[in-house]
Amino acid sequence: MAKTDLMMLREDSGIKIIEIKTDLSSYAASDLRKMLEMLLEQKVDKVIVNLHQVHHINSTAVGALVGVAKRLRQNGGDLKICELADNLTRTFNLIGASTVIEIYESENSAITAF
Amino acid sequence: MERTCIKLNIPSDVFYLEPVRAFIGNLAQHLGFSRKRIADIQLAVDEICNNAVNHGSVSTEAVISLQISVRAQVLEILVQDAGTGVDWLTPERLSEIEANRSPKNESGHGIFLSKLLTDTYEMRYNAEGGTDVRVTFYQEN
Repeated sequence: MAKTDLMMLREDSGIKIIEIKTDLSSYAASDLRKMLEMLLEQKVDKVIVNLHQVHHINSTAVGALVGVAKRLRQNGGDLKICELADNLTRTFNLIGASTVIEIYESENSAITAF
Repeated sequence: MERTCIKLNIPSDVFYLEPVRAFIGNLAQHLGFSRKRIADIQLAVDEICNNAVNHGSVSTEAVISLQISVRAQVLEILVQDAGTGVDWLTPERLSEIEANRSPKNESGHGIFLSKLLTDTYEMRYNAEGGTDVRVTFYQEN
């Protein structure tokens, strides 16, 4: 299990799960992007980002998730997100990113969807 | 309520945007804005400041200036950058970004979101060569 101050990386059923432990404005989004890039380099193809401890997300962080989801799909994988607070869902909906990334109410349902 | 003005100057670095967002959120809560509206205010200010840092300022030596005006049921925020960024948002660049915005794009959503979340949104190029973004939020009755 790899762990940073801001996010924890674990594995379940062959899927890498990133649990974010901080709000995602641009400063933290750069750490998220680094972790996602690391997973891409490791040829990981299934990723879930659990946002249940996140109370704020900006378009930079949403963009990082969209970008990695697109790249994973090119190789037959995917990135799914789960456990969003209402205001986070609203941000994804306003940007339109909820049409690009699959959003699940629970981590289990996201795992099952792979 | 008489008009009150709070001024904040921060280094042009995304590191300082989190405390700014927290301050704006606390202020909006103190003024009686709803939880949903506070989230909108915080997101809009985060996006505007993020653009000021990334597009409006060349280094952390530059300063992002915020003027926060409070009067009866209105919160007005002016964000000013130095206009020295290498990827400065010219009118042409702005039009291009807005015309090409797509949910599939990784960037180009900040101004779109800010306009959606604010009651008024005004962007001007200031005399110093930077950008002024002035937004207002009206408190629900």
